[in-house]
Amino acid sequence: MNERVPQISTTIRLSVRGLNRRFGYRRVIRNLTLDVEAGSVLVLIGHNGAGKTTLIRLLAGLLKPTSGTVTREGSFGLVAHDSMFYDSLTAKENLRFFGNLVGSAESSRIEELLLVTGLTEHAERRVEAFSRGMVQRLTMARALLHDPELLLLDEPMTGLDDAATTTVQRLLADLASRNRSIVLATHHLPEVVHLATEVGFLVSGEMKALEPIGGRDSRALMDRYRELVQNG
Amino acid sequence: MASSLLNTALSVAAKDLRIEWRTKTAFASSIVFAVLVLAIFYFSRDTTVVSELDIAPSALWVTFTFASMLGLNRAFLLEQENRAIDAILITDVPRTGVFLGKVLGNLAFVAVVELITLPLFALFFNVPILRPLPALLAVTAMATLAFVTVGTLLSAMVVRTRFAELMLPVLLLPFLVPPVIGAVQITAGLLAYRPLSDFSGWLRLLASFDIAFVAACLLLFDATVEE
Repeated sequence: MNERVPQISTTIRLSVRGLNRRFGYRRVIRNLTLDVEAGSVLVLIGHNGAGKTTLIRLLAGLLKPTSGTVTREGSFGLVAHDSMFYDSLTAKENLRFFGNLVGSAESSRIEELLLVTGLTEHAERRVEAFSRGMVQRLTMARALLHDPELLLLDEPMTGLDDAATTTVQRLLADLASRNRSIVLATHHLPEVVHLATEVGFLVSGEMKALEPIGGRDSRALMDRYRELVQNG
Repeated sequence: MASSLLNTALSVAAKDLRIEWRTKTAFASSIVFAVLVLAIFYFSRDTTVVSELDIAPSALWVTFTFASMLGLNRAFLLEQENRAIDAILITDVPRTGVFLGKVLGNLAFVAVVELITLPLFALFFNVPILRPLPALLAVTAMATLAFVTVGTLLSAMVVRTRFAELMLPVLLLPFLVPPVIGAVQITAGLLAYRPLSDFSGWLRLLASFDIAFVAACLLLFDATVEE
């Protein structure tokens, strides 16, 4: 409680300082510090159980840190592991409901997002009838309703076919080109590596390294990850 | 702030009612349950020992309470299915508004169940409800507000537990005892054509519970949905 909240410059959208999170005796996130600047795309790499989902939930404010601070500047959207939709409502009804909550429920905006996610034809279908890929695209649409300055994504490519992957990649590239910030946790590196400006290597809840992408491909990044794991 | 609170509450309530209208899961269960309870009460009593007027108020409130509980249980279960509540909690909307929306949705649901149950109750027990109807509806509204408010809060509390559907009645029933006793007493008097003014003590008790439950639940909801 007595920790100083860091001052955020105008270009930093997300600032994390000394973040720790325990579940019982288990430390899931360990002393993590990072900054995300406007326009940067930070890809978080980690094996299953490395703490990626916990970190995204901490960044979104859905989990409270055991210690440390998370400071966000501006609006943000979230694509989480769960769809966070009501299965009995249609795609459009879901978007309208969440749009109402974020003050962005105009029909034109909803139609636009359904169009860019390729779901216009399915707008009146209930979400329970959607495939995993369609749900994931709709989740992107919901996260973008209020055109957030920061987008947090947890495994956004899971369950997507090639066409849907391309759609999501295009949306992310568009966001990055408009100076939006993206934090993306994944272990599907090849689909997102070309978007990344920075990469964070998460090993057992610890950010082993936070580096510029430096033109490396997914294989080089995985080699680096393995090296960090082996070095403990 | 006030418009945001109202907008949130109305959005949440409308969404809940739309889902219930579409699925009718809780509604169908509640109505079937209400009919069953009324039938059991009706057929199980010895008409030579217990008169209709003696058993009717208790039967009515047991039916109202337990039939409503089925709906209350569902209030936060549907938020938990795909963790939709998370998408609400990451927005800046006032959480009090979310709670009020849930209460409004539940009140509407319970009101419909009660309005359908009431004529069935009159039919089963052959009690005259038309003359005391306005007073009966007022008392029903007061008692319903108390148990729906606390039931909604408890629904949010237990939804992440392993046996949420069992936990809700266990936790809720102790809170229900005072307002339901009051409601039964007043209902018995009203069905015997006594004026509402005869029950000012019970009415004050009901009003006190309404105020206390609503205030306490509004204060506690924020902590309830925190991780």
